[in-house]
Amino acid sequence: MADASTAHAGDPSVGATRTGGPPLASTKPPILAARDVHRTYRFGQVEVPVLRGASISIAPGEWVAILGQSGSGKSTLMHLLGGLDRPDAGRGTVEFEGGPVSLGAGRSLDRYRNRDVGFVFQFYHLLPELTVLENACLPGLVGGFFGHARAAAARRRAQELLEIAGLSHRLRHRPAELSGGERQRVAIARALVNGPRVLLADEPTGNLDATTGASILDLIASQHAQGLTVAMVTHDAAVAARAQRVVHLRDGQVVDG
Amino acid sequence: MYAALLSNRYLTSRVIPLIAVGAVALCVALVIIVVSVMSGFLDMLKASGRTLIGDVVVSSGIGGIPNYDEWLADLRTLPEVEAATPVIDTLGLLRMPYPSGPSKEIAPVQVWAIEPESFAKVTAYGEKVWWRPPADEAARDAMLPDDPRLRMDASILRDGLTLSQGATGKPGIVLGMHVSVGNARQSDGSYRPRFGWFMPGEQVTLTVVPVSETGKISEPRDATFPIVNEVFSGVYDVDKSRVFIPLAQGQELLRLDAAPLYDTTAEPDAEGNLPLLGTAPARVTKVLIRAKPGTSALDARDAVEASWDAFVAKAARRNDRLGRPPERVSILTWEQQLRDLIGPVEKEREMMRILFSIIYIVCAGLILSIFWSIVIEKTRDIGILRSVGASRLGILWIFLRYGLAIGVVGSLAGVGIAWVVVDNINLIHEAIGRDAPRAAWITTAAVATLSLGLALRALIWRGRLLPGLLWTIATITFAIVTVTLIGHRGTLIWDPSVYYFSTIPSKVDWFNAAITAIGGIVFSVIGAAIPAAKAADVDPVEALRYG
Repeated sequence: MADASTAHAGDPSVGATRTGGPPLASTKPPILAARDVHRTYRFGQVEVPVLRGASISIAPGEWVAILGQSGSGKSTLMHLLGGLDRPDAGRGTVEFEGGPVSLGAGRSLDRYRNRDVGFVFQFYHLLPELTVLENACLPGLVGGFFGHARAAAARRRAQELLEIAGLSHRLRHRPAELSGGERQRVAIARALVNGPRVLLADEPTGNLDATTGASILDLIASQHAQGLTVAMVTHDAAVAARAQRVVHLRDGQVVDG
Repeated sequence: MYAALLSNRYLTSRVIPLIAVGAVALCVALVIIVVSVMSGFLDMLKASGRTLIGDVVVSSGIGGIPNYDEWLADLRTLPEVEAATPVIDTLGLLRMPYPSGPSKEIAPVQVWAIEPESFAKVTAYGEKVWWRPPADEAARDAMLPDDPRLRMDASILRDGLTLSQGATGKPGIVLGMHVSVGNARQSDGSYRPRFGWFMPGEQVTLTVVPVSETGKISEPRDATFPIVNEVFSGVYDVDKSRVFIPLAQGQELLRLDAAPLYDTTAEPDAEGNLPLLGTAPARVTKVLIRAKPGTSALDARDAVEASWDAFVAKAARRNDRLGRPPERVSILTWEQQLRDLIGPVEKEREMMRILFSIIYIVCAGLILSIFWSIVIEKTRDIGILRSVGASRLGILWIFLRYGLAIGVVGSLAGVGIAWVVVDNINLIHEAIGRDAPRAAWITTAAVATLSLGLALRALIWRGRLLPGLLWTIATITFAIVTVTLIGHRGTLIWDPSVYYFSTIPSKVDWFNAAITAIGGIVFSVIGAAIPAAKAADVDPVEALRYG
């Protein structure tokens, strides 16, 4: 099992290319790491082990692509890294800034998802009843009953991010009125609204044509250039090539990286 | 904060929650309307019952209360007592003036011999004497053109209030409105003479049976009275059987007047006269008391009881053999006296409240099923919210808040509907009581035809099943409404010629309305709680993967 902290950036063996961003600091302690995590799902009597001791370490400011076939456990690893799910009891840990994530109680996990990481999904996952601006604000509204000032700040930040994403003319539209690319831009704005340290993107271009996908990756790259750490799951090597480093996931294990 | 945003959006962007709001509104409105009408009915019943007996009723046995004037004078000095009046209450037979021919109808009646002046101070007798000219222009305008009262002058009212025929000076009798068959109640609650018999002015013969103090029955005695007026209390049992005659005539007929008493055990003197023992005082069988404003009937009763004990003690000290008060009298408040009448209606109201409260459970069930389907439909949204950091409590709160909003909006709407309906219940009732106007069924027929056209268009030309089905249902509904309206022939549900009261109570019982509305809100939240808990338990990963 390769320890991610010892991996070096831009390893030519995995064909990764640099797309800019701050210089890699592999000597720094990782901002996010999974250590020997196992995750087994139960379907009735059948147990399906999805992750079998996967480990990954992501340095601050790094853009890592996790490449793997369908069913290799990419999304599950992403969910564990983002605190949406927990490893099997006693079988591996997820650490954020050196502290365990998966041991946290419900409330601190909620806080972790709300403040420290931002998710982008393949199917955008916007709330259809809310406008573009409200969707982008959502993480700013979550977390506390008395957050009026916070909400106003989130609104301003969401507007800025939507402007960067080129959607300032769409603020009052509903998701149903947007194209796929536009929806994904809203999803990215939403993921970034609370200023997380890490962006977790699960097949962010998987549902888009090549041109639109490229523009989404450009948007992510522009945020990465400003110091955002990005972990991106994909099955598309061309998409993975935009990252600084690519790790491969096969049969529930990280086989390199 | 996001909970408010989301629950508001879920509420306003969908039709199903509106159905839930409508269901809560209808349930709440139904309970408020039914209980308000029942409470109003009870209030009217109590008020009507009270109008004819005052606040406290003192009843003695057949022997009656001697020296009642003395006690009444005592009573009238009590701070709790506003007025008091003596009454004789007995049974009698009334020989009616109808039918024409030698054989007349006989009606069993309850005879109240009263002092009209003081009786009117204790009871609302003065207001309940029916035949009288309209008090003012407004009252005149409110009457139907064929109302006999429009052509009356004040003399008939005066005669009714004094129980004497002004023209002849004879003592008169006042009958309860339904004692004779001569009065036909109209849909507006007024009366018209029936079969050509207008009672005032006719003569009736009243037969009563005097009973001695020891219970010995004497020869029946009768007297003929001119009917001087009729009285309408609003309580059918009273109006059906009660007649009023002057107290003096009642005492005389029943031998309860002051009379010399002879010693029948002694030898007659030379002229054949027995020795005179003294004069037995006049008696009455009931004393009715009105409490001072602000004094409760129960307090007044206690004061009357104390006064009675003092009166008895005084009589005992006097050792007045002829005027000894009865050992036992019953002293009851009006409410205790009318218990038999009020009790069942109160129970009925409680039954109604309980039965209709079951509707709440239906309401909660409806909200539960609607919310359950919304939670299933919104599973993915729940996953998204969890992914951006919403806590389980936050998710729970979204749906509880949603249920709360439905409960609050529905309950307020229900109170509004109930208010409008109860406030206009007599108008609505009158509208149902009339034949449907032609414009109404022409409109519904037109709507039915239009719906039929749309149904055919959807089914045949467009091949769409759902709009076709909805328009077909609309067509059938409007067709049924049209046929019902055409066939509708002014049915009076609350027929004032049958019921005690001429109008349906139309005052919202606000206390009950508040309780009902709170009930609606509570049950809406209960209905929402189970789906809300399910939503909070949703696994975010599952929700995002499969939701």
